[in-house]
Amino acid sequence: MLFALLAGFMLSFLAPVLHRLLGKLLVVPMVLFPLALFAYFCTQLPGVLAGNVLLQGYAWAPSLGINLQFRLDGLGLLFALLVSGFGALVMLYTKGYLGESPLLGRFYLYLTLFMTAMLGVVLSDNLFCLFIFWELTSITSFLLIGFDSDKEEARTSAWQALLVTGAGGLALMGGLILLNLATGSYTFSALLNGEKFMATHPLYLPATLLLLLACFTKSAQFPFHFWLPNAMAAPTPVSAYLHSATMVKAGIYLLARLGPVLGGTEVWQMVLLMVGTATTLLGALLALQYTDLKAVLAYTTISALGLMVSLTGIDTPLALKALLVFLLAHALYKGTLFMVVGAIDHSTGTRDAQMLRGLGPHLKLLAAAATLAGLSMAGILPFFGFVGKELLYEATLHSPRLTWWAFGGAFVSGLAFVAVASLLSYGIFWHKASVSTPVKHAPSFSLYLPPLLLGLLGLLLGLSPSSLAAPLLEQAFQVIASTTTELHLALWHGFTTIFVLSLVTVSLGVLLYFLLPRLQQLPITYQRLYQNGPNKLYHLTFKGFLKGAKAFTRRVQGGYLRNYMVTIVLFFCCLLVFVLWRDAPAIDLSQRVHLLQEVRLYELVLWVLVMAALLYLLNTRSRLTSIVVMGLVGYSAALFYILFGAPDVAATQLLIETLTVVIFVLLLHKLPAFTYLSHQYRKYKFVFVSVLFGSLMTYVLLLVQEHAVTSELQQFYGKASYLQAHGRNIVNVILVDFRGFDTLGEITVLAVAALGIFALLRLNPEKGGKR
Amino acid sequence: MRTVIFATAIRILTPLFLLFSLYILFRGHNNPGGGFIGGLIGSIAFIFHTLARGPKDTVDTFLSLTLRIADRMPGQSRPAYLSQMLKANLVGRKKELPDQWRQHSLRLRPLFLIALGLLIAVSSGTFSFFRGEPYMTAWWPDTHLPVLASLGTPLLFDTGIYLLVLGMVLKMVFTMSRD
Repeated sequence: MLFALLAGFMLSFLAPVLHRLLGKLLVVPMVLFPLALFAYFCTQLPGVLAGNVLLQGYAWAPSLGINLQFRLDGLGLLFALLVSGFGALVMLYTKGYLGESPLLGRFYLYLTLFMTAMLGVVLSDNLFCLFIFWELTSITSFLLIGFDSDKEEARTSAWQALLVTGAGGLALMGGLILLNLATGSYTFSALLNGEKFMATHPLYLPATLLLLLACFTKSAQFPFHFWLPNAMAAPTPVSAYLHSATMVKAGIYLLARLGPVLGGTEVWQMVLLMVGTATTLLGALLALQYTDLKAVLAYTTISALGLMVSLTGIDTPLALKALLVFLLAHALYKGTLFMVVGAIDHSTGTRDAQMLRGLGPHLKLLAAAATLAGLSMAGILPFFGFVGKELLYEATLHSPRLTWWAFGGAFVSGLAFVAVASLLSYGIFWHKASVSTPVKHAPSFSLYLPPLLLGLLGLLLGLSPSSLAAPLLEQAFQVIASTTTELHLALWHGFTTIFVLSLVTVSLGVLLYFLLPRLQQLPITYQRLYQNGPNKLYHLTFKGFLKGAKAFTRRVQGGYLRNYMVTIVLFFCCLLVFVLWRDAPAIDLSQRVHLLQEVRLYELVLWVLVMAALLYLLNTRSRLTSIVVMGLVGYSAALFYILFGAPDVAATQLLIETLTVVIFVLLLHKLPAFTYLSHQYRKYKFVFVSVLFGSLMTYVLLLVQEHAVTSELQQFYGKASYLQAHGRNIVNVILVDFRGFDTLGEITVLAVAALGIFALLRLNPEKGGKR
Repeated sequence: MRTVIFATAIRILTPLFLLFSLYILFRGHNNPGGGFIGGLIGSIAFIFHTLARGPKDTVDTFLSLTLRIADRMPGQSRPAYLSQMLKANLVGRKKELPDQWRQHSLRLRPLFLIALGLLIAVSSGTFSFFRGEPYMTAWWPDTHLPVLASLGTPLLFDTGIYLLVLGMVLKMVFTMSRD
């Protein structure tokens, strides 16, 4: 599994290069890769269906418990198949949708990167491994939403999605660490096999709330739902893939995964039910008021996600069964509908429901796909959506808590789904209209094939639910329910209450569809509510934060280097004085005076040299002289290092001094002439600060000598350096081997600093910004 | 600084400096030296050259490569074409170009050196994955070469540091010395 993910990362970064090499044929490798992954996961099917769990692990930082550990069980495989299979179709669809774009390579880069990260999320066994992939999906989602970076809307929405899901990512990190502290396990496998995390544990509540927060932001639950409709600024393949079928389900996935560990308590059930159903109602109501088809779909997606969250909250085996079936059904029909809307947008140039009429005869195959998906969404009999809806009603009716609240949510959203489904399939394509919307060009093969396939799959799964979907869903079910109850799926349950409810939903929903134009013509009723809702709050916070940061920067960053230096040094001195005062260790200087006798002549010479240079430096007015004298001081320091046996440090110091002098000389002629601007008393202030700092440092060094720390590190490095690391130069071995990771961090900072310096030097405000 | 003596001496000294910096890089594991010091020495070599002859000359001499390219004649076989290209680029580069030949200039930018250094340093740690060990576990294959002593992934890491430091200093100096 690691190699599958690594291959994904490599391929994604190769995409722009491949675009240059292959041109339009780029789509071939990009589609073949998810297909290969899909095939790979299919080969794992028999093992998983037999109830085996495939575990793979690679050590990363074992001492911290951070490892690349993967786990393939029923739930993971279900999602992996969904991600890779859907991925192949979306990659193909992208060719039709963005085929002419010069940035196609970059788009495939982001998309493949996202797919790989999403696979990582659903396959991770290690908690921190999951966290890393989770964050990667947030980042790629940001890049994809902001793909049309020349539009302001896209940029703002991308920011919004990143900040909201990124905040959730922080909560996830906190939650996972607490979970790890409380249970002591680093992997889901250990969590599932270990004891249940008791609600009475003091860390239970904070951990659960943080994890729920993470899931809610990712899955766009109220009050964090606002980023999802805004994220529709992304190109349609992204909306279909990330924002309906896969990424927003990551929250649901994590909830389902953690259910056996955290679930079963009152907090868990109440929070999930309340939030989930509130989201469901909100999404359903808002969906009816928009005419932009993508917005309509986005709000129904929010509604569906809310349903899934409340199903997790109901927490009965029946509800979890309904969750899995509804999740699969939703991914199939919602992905299809998004692709259909994208294709309509592509070929007619609009996606406003009021402008689109009578497209059916012109776009037959697209209409077929939309009808298939619409029937599944509405929950009509032979489709997979019907199975999902039946289970949904049954589960909410048997909810142990808040039964009517949960069922009400399911029922209202059911009505809204029927109305939206009728609008998308019947209203746009088959409704008789005197003038049909002109079609500019017929959609290409790659635009209608993927939705058609998905729509047909929905029908196929519905026709024989027990043979096709049930075995895998059953394994997934056993993972999240941690029971061995069998899962039976059937299309026809007989003429029961539930079926009657379904009939009522469909008929009322169709009625609602005919009322839709009136609803849409009303000014958005909750517009005032919406304007002052979480979206507004987000923008206010965002602006306030920027303002606050600016004010803070203006105050703290005066722009005078000397003030920065004085602040840093004085703060450091305060800390030092505090520590010295608290611990009050005294130095007995009288015992050390005799040490002065051992001072050798050349040490004395160096000392005199440095002192003379410093005195001269204080009195010179020429920049060039001060640079040269500073160089002299530096070289003398290097000589001291040599005298005390640190050749590596000395060499570095010598070279750095040389470079500093050379660079100063290069810059010198760019500076204005040296003039005294500051008052005399300010000079005394600086003298005071430097004397204070110098004497404190001397005192501390003497102290260190007095109370030498006994450490075995030196001996350890001395021994291990040659035996384990094959090097005799301990300094270098520590740098590149023992503490190599630190060095890696340092050189990364160095590289970033180089970019910053470059940008600063190129900036020339007097000449009007960039040169 | 543009004196004749300095400018003449630097022509000989710069390659020596570079060679020395590489030597420092490779001996670092057993004796004083290493990637950081090596990179600094290497960059000082270029800086002196820049001081003596200006940044443009340094870039032209050390950091760019001009390729001579001609289209393949109809009927000319691929190996013959390749050998002709090689000959034109390796032998007699001082000669004037015939008409149908183009010049293609490749430049090695300091930012590229920085990125390359970071890439080498990061990827030197991934070798351990293929042997099922944690990231950045050193690997010393059993080789013994003159001067280089033994080869291992830490040496690769050190090379990354060398390139990064070199690129960083060059970037700064080239940006500052341009007016």
